[in-house]
Amino acid sequence: MKAPDISADRLHIRDLAPGLSNLLWLGGLVALVAGLLLATASGTETFLRAYLTGFMFTLSLALGALFFVLLQHATRAGWSVVVRRIAEYFTCGFGILAVLSLPIIIAMVLQPDILGIRAAIHDIFPWTSELIVWGDNTAAHPGDEILQGKSGFLSTPFFVLRMVAYFGIWLWLSHFFLSRSLQQDQSGDPQLSLQMQTRSYPGMILFALSLSFVAIDLLMSLDPHWFSTIFGVYYFGGSALGFFSLLAVTMFWLQSNGRMSQAITVEHYHDVGKLAFAFIVFWAYIAFSQYMLIWYGNLPEETAWLTVRQSPTWAPVSLLLLFGHFVIPFLALISRVPKRGRYGLVAAALWILVMHLCDMIWLVFPHVNHGGDHAIASFGVLDVIQIVLCTLGILGLYLGRVVRASAQGSLLPERDPRLPESLAFHNF
Amino acid sequence: MATIPAEATEPAGTREGILRGMLVEFDTPGQLIAAANRVREAGYKRFDAHSPFPIHGIDEAVGIRMTILPWIVMAGGMFGLLNGLFLQWYTNAVDAESLSLIPTFLQGYNYLVSGKPYFSLPANIPVIFELTILLSAIAAVIGMLVLNNLPLFYNPVFNVARFRKVTDDKFFLVVDARDSKFDARATDELLSGLGGTAVEPILEYPSPSALPRPFLTLGVIVTLVALIPPALIWKAWVSKSSKPRIHIIQDMDNQAKFKDQRASVLFADGRSMRPPVPGTVARGDLQHDDHFFRGIVGEAWSTTFPLHKLPVDDALLDRGQQRFGVYCAPCHGLTGDGQGLVNQRAIELGGAWVPPANLHEAQYRERALGHLFNTISNGIRSMPQYGDAIPPADRWAIVAYVRALQRSQFATIDDVPAAERAQMPSAARPAEATEE
Repeated sequence: MKAPDISADRLHIRDLAPGLSNLLWLGGLVALVAGLLLATASGTETFLRAYLTGFMFTLSLALGALFFVLLQHATRAGWSVVVRRIAEYFTCGFGILAVLSLPIIIAMVLQPDILGIRAAIHDIFPWTSELIVWGDNTAAHPGDEILQGKSGFLSTPFFVLRMVAYFGIWLWLSHFFLSRSLQQDQSGDPQLSLQMQTRSYPGMILFALSLSFVAIDLLMSLDPHWFSTIFGVYYFGGSALGFFSLLAVTMFWLQSNGRMSQAITVEHYHDVGKLAFAFIVFWAYIAFSQYMLIWYGNLPEETAWLTVRQSPTWAPVSLLLLFGHFVIPFLALISRVPKRGRYGLVAAALWILVMHLCDMIWLVFPHVNHGGDHAIASFGVLDVIQIVLCTLGILGLYLGRVVRASAQGSLLPERDPRLPESLAFHNF
Repeated sequence: MATIPAEATEPAGTREGILRGMLVEFDTPGQLIAAANRVREAGYKRFDAHSPFPIHGIDEAVGIRMTILPWIVMAGGMFGLLNGLFLQWYTNAVDAESLSLIPTFLQGYNYLVSGKPYFSLPANIPVIFELTILLSAIAAVIGMLVLNNLPLFYNPVFNVARFRKVTDDKFFLVVDARDSKFDARATDELLSGLGGTAVEPILEYPSPSALPRPFLTLGVIVTLVALIPPALIWKAWVSKSSKPRIHIIQDMDNQAKFKDQRASVLFADGRSMRPPVPGTVARGDLQHDDHFFRGIVGEAWSTTFPLHKLPVDDALLDRGQQRFGVYCAPCHGLTGDGQGLVNQRAIELGGAWVPPANLHEAQYRERALGHLFNTISNGIRSMPQYGDAIPPADRWAIVAYVRALQRSQFATIDDVPAAERAQMPSAARPAEATEE
């Protein structure tokens, strides 16, 4: 098998980038503003939950991209060099994501008593409320012994400190790998590959810890009584799967726009499809492990979390995840044929991205009303619209940044020593 | 046809070989791919390429079609999945009465595990999952072997001495004589025109096909020996014996000692358990204090606690509360109102049931302490006796706690010290509520 000739390929999107990124930014801002306006109808709490959903969805894609880059360096992967730069560009969004995390953090720190923000934050993150945690010696607010025990970790100053640390780690890692990779485009120095490989190992450890803890901080602490030691891995499985889907869609979009026409072959689609398939199973495995241990153990503080998700309001979404996030994509991608057919893979990838968003909704929205009665909070059309607006807003701003960043260089690491291997890559 | 080095030739002159195929040798993988393409285009189907390492593109050149192995694996996996599901359903979830036609040892058995349903998917999935994986893997291995005609103990291609280089630095194309297009002369011409370094026929020499006699004898002996254990099991199965079963794992089941309620030949009365010697009391068994042990003072039920044995203080009440929770609350309820979980369940199930007493009824509030003590010790109606299970001091502690419970249900505001009334929530202060 001869390597494809890429001399005629267009390996950049400098012509598309400015217009596209402006469009994405504008669209993102419009969606967010529309979401804010809708908040007057849907309520502050719904808006904040929808915003958190969109944020965690977009963050998971960026984290998945960072994982992909680290993994390729750590394993000295040959096949993936052609598509690695795309992933590197997708890690460029941590700056804007840090900015987008500020509304949550500021609301949490200041807890301003305007527009119902204070009450909403207390409902979403009960551990931020002094009254809920420590009480005031009345029957209505007896305090919460469990949260008092967790108050060392779940305290606002420490929370802010951790968020700073996470984004510091991600910004540093993404900057390091992209800048070295771009540097290699100029110098062609193979030492850079070795340097990136060496750094990828501690990078992977930092990545694993930061991802697990951000999942605990922003998702698990929504129900601070509940705990699941596998939760970080659960979020990781969804993140990796989400990114592999995004990668397949991006490869398809680039080729549809006449970029990398020869460089990306059906073999690369096949491998991205295989990774996506593996992580469909991985996600389901982790999700089921989490579910079964809680089900078997039958401890009240653990089952409460699932009881809410098995209530009539949320059971349909739980079943949607079981079939839509696992069974359907599993059967769709199990064969070699759809993974090698671009349309089949991209259709599956888009479906998975939607399901991944449903997974985030499933993690953020279901909760028991904190207004005294213990009814399960309802979920309606307004919530869905709010989620779509917030997700499109945050995703648009993030993608705008990614597109802008990708204008600074080539779409593939042109002088990576393993590029010829990747171009000639062939699945047996 | 290229010349064959002398040392590589089989003794073709001494024995007549049958032509099984033809091979051609190359120095580079590129030549091998080109040759494979030519042979395939010439219409051959049964030919194979041999190389020291995997070569990109050789599959297409030889014309290897997609394997059906994935379908075999999938079938194996599905079989494992359904098998796991059926196994767990049949062994644990089927009501034995519906299987009366099936022998007992083949029936399932409803076994309750930590209150879960007999058949529940979350618990079944690990077994289903493992069986799916196991049978997928077995199907993959066996399917691979069958599809490759393995195990194959003999291949005539190894009669060609130069073929040994295939694990080193030579590349071979082998055309099978069973191919419909195979023709000794035409194939020879085609292969010679491929630019290989050598073309050679693959000959199979006649060899004795009969099984050697020692193998036959050994086989018969091993087969007969292997039949002995099943024959013994079958014999045990169909025959009856008055002897006890063979006790392989002893677990200290048989010991040289007497057990309770067994006969003994040693003692004249034939009992292995010895009654106490008349006129003696075992150490610690002298319960002469009627007040403490039986709740009786004089001829009547005691109305006081046996203070000479135990003080009535917070420690006793705490102990009483804890013991009450263990022994009494299941039926009488934590507050003593007779609505314990056992009672609730019994009423739910229906049928005859003597409900436990509500300890707050007047007759129990007025009942003498010693009488309550006696009821705990000896039971009443359907309540069993607890004298054997609860030591006397703990029984008195329970009595004290029952008194505390009874008082708690009929407390007035006067029972609360004046200094602490202010701290009570308003809902608990009916007197003040009416004032408002």
